[in-house]
Amino acid sequence: MAADERRSSVAVLGAGLIGIDLADKIRRSKSLELCLVVGRDRQSVGLARAADMGCATASGGITALLASGPFDVVFDASNADCHADHWAALRKTGTTLIDLTPTQLGTVVVPTVNGNQAAAYRHINLVSCGGQAAIPVLHAVAQHCTPTYIEVVSTGASASAGRATRLNLDQYIATTQAAIRSFTGAPEVKVMVNLSPARPAPPFRVVMTVLAHDLCRGPVSAAVASAAEEVRAFAPGFAVNCVEVKDGRVSVAVEVTATGGRIPRYAGNLDIINGAALLLAEQHAVALSR
Amino acid sequence: MDISTSSGQRPRVLIHDPTLRDGHHAVGHQLDTDQLRAYAEAADAARIPVVEVGHGNGLGASSLQIGQAKLPDASMLKTVREALTHSRMGVFMAPGWGTADDLRAAVAHGADVVRIAAHCTEAGVTERHLGVARDLGAEAQGVLLMSHMAVPGQLAEQCAALAQFGAQAVGIMDSAGHYLPTDVAERVHAIASAVDVPVIFHGHNNLSLAVANSLAAIEAGASIIDATARGFGAGAGNTQLEVLVAVLQRRGFDTGIGLREVLHAADVAEARLMKAQPVIDSVSLVSGLAGVFSGFRQPVLATALCEGVDPLDLFLALGERQVVAGQEDLIADVARQLKDAS
Repeated sequence: MAADERRSSVAVLGAGLIGIDLADKIRRSKSLELCLVVGRDRQSVGLARAADMGCATASGGITALLASGPFDVVFDASNADCHADHWAALRKTGTTLIDLTPTQLGTVVVPTVNGNQAAAYRHINLVSCGGQAAIPVLHAVAQHCTPTYIEVVSTGASASAGRATRLNLDQYIATTQAAIRSFTGAPEVKVMVNLSPARPAPPFRVVMTVLAHDLCRGPVSAAVASAAEEVRAFAPGFAVNCVEVKDGRVSVAVEVTATGGRIPRYAGNLDIINGAALLLAEQHAVALSR
Repeated sequence: MDISTSSGQRPRVLIHDPTLRDGHHAVGHQLDTDQLRAYAEAADAARIPVVEVGHGNGLGASSLQIGQAKLPDASMLKTVREALTHSRMGVFMAPGWGTADDLRAAVAHGADVVRIAAHCTEAGVTERHLGVARDLGAEAQGVLLMSHMAVPGQLAEQCAALAQFGAQAVGIMDSAGHYLPTDVAERVHAIASAVDVPVIFHGHNNLSLAVANSLAAIEAGASIIDATARGFGAGAGNTQLEVLVAVLQRRGFDTGIGLREVLHAADVAEARLMKAQPVIDSVSLVSGLAGVFSGFRQPVLATALCEGVDPLDLFLALGERQVVAGQEDLIADVARQLKDAS
């Protein structure tokens, strides 16, 4: 984008672990201008960190955000329980809302699978960090077989899961299961979540098992490798640890580490969902400037 | 629950029996309705206060990762509920494995006591579900798994958080069977000093100390103790119920359970539930020392055989990785690393 073109104005709603890493990523974007980071409480650690990074901050949640807008794009990194209210408040403002909480309200977007259509949507949902890691792989596998059952187990480092994530585990599971069903056609999907207290903290790990009667070996592994390559365009720490195709079962383990930003290396869960959010907002900015 | 003792009465200890839940780890979660009914009836006749039932990792945990149960949660609960006339029915649920929908279904099937579990430093994940359990009118309890991984002060803080989220009893599980009695006493004492609700202790027998650890817990202030018939549980098994009842009787604690009746229940468990009684073999001893979740025994043995590595080395390597329950996917990874390194 040329320097004289207008950058998209964006705001981040939520000053938890996800919101603050997202703010950090946006600050380094050439096409987005971070206008505001909004938290709930004035005293929150997250807002202080955002202010330290030089961001404009406000407390008071959606009310404060509405008072400062309008913005081209708002990222909701708050809490799934509040998201419906946030969308109700923003839908008439012309803002595009990118939801990083696990609700099933906006149009589900996984950049490497259906990201090219995302510019048309004004209310986007990014499923969950586990969904962003699993769905590119599962979608690729599902092009080569007819899954009858899919199971996904994600394990994140304890320190990478904030309070809203912990409160929203049921929504995380339900939203991720629904998105996997819709992107793969699998009739039965089970998602499980672990938090690991191990020290040093382990990277974000997502293990997928696909059961299908009509599997063939060759193309599946290649398809997984190529899906991973595409994800690395916006989440460079995305690595496939193992692909096994055997007896009507595909098992894939991926690990995601965070690279570049201020967040620790283990926090790949934050890196992949925020990387996806940033990519979509930048594509949106390009579409706006045309 | 009344745990206070007026003068002249023997101090009371409440026995919580997860034979039909934790025992599932010893048989690949394959108990059928006849087995569940037979033991539940015997436990009920012995007046065991709480009979817990479910998949080894609790509600919603049946999966390729942890093991698929023979029966769905609903069938297990229905069978046991019908068999109980005195005992209350307990269920176990860890957020991330099960959900609030599973809790609602369990309480609708007649669960009286709902345990919400989290790994020892992760009490934060129980906030929502302890609230749901309370709202459903069940007795809500909070327990910390793999508790040897945290120091006493941390466990006390985490238990205080569980109580603040609404838990009506809180406590720790020695999921790996790693503790010595002094470890337990120190931790239970710290917890009992930090909360105003009854304290729970759940032992495993890898170091042959489950009964001694339970006694140490009671003397440090715990009043709800978990134990299973014949110690039915993965590997070395759990605290052995009938032994604990006898020991508590000798020590002057009142459990409200008759020795003859609990011995009968244990005989039923031995005859109907298990292929072999739990034993402290080399693998179980090392898994306890390594501090690895007892439920990993079967998948570790299977993977070690398949990859041609020593299961003792595999347990020690998993201990170094500080794996927690639910991370069964790491077993094959770590086995391959061991194989490549050899």
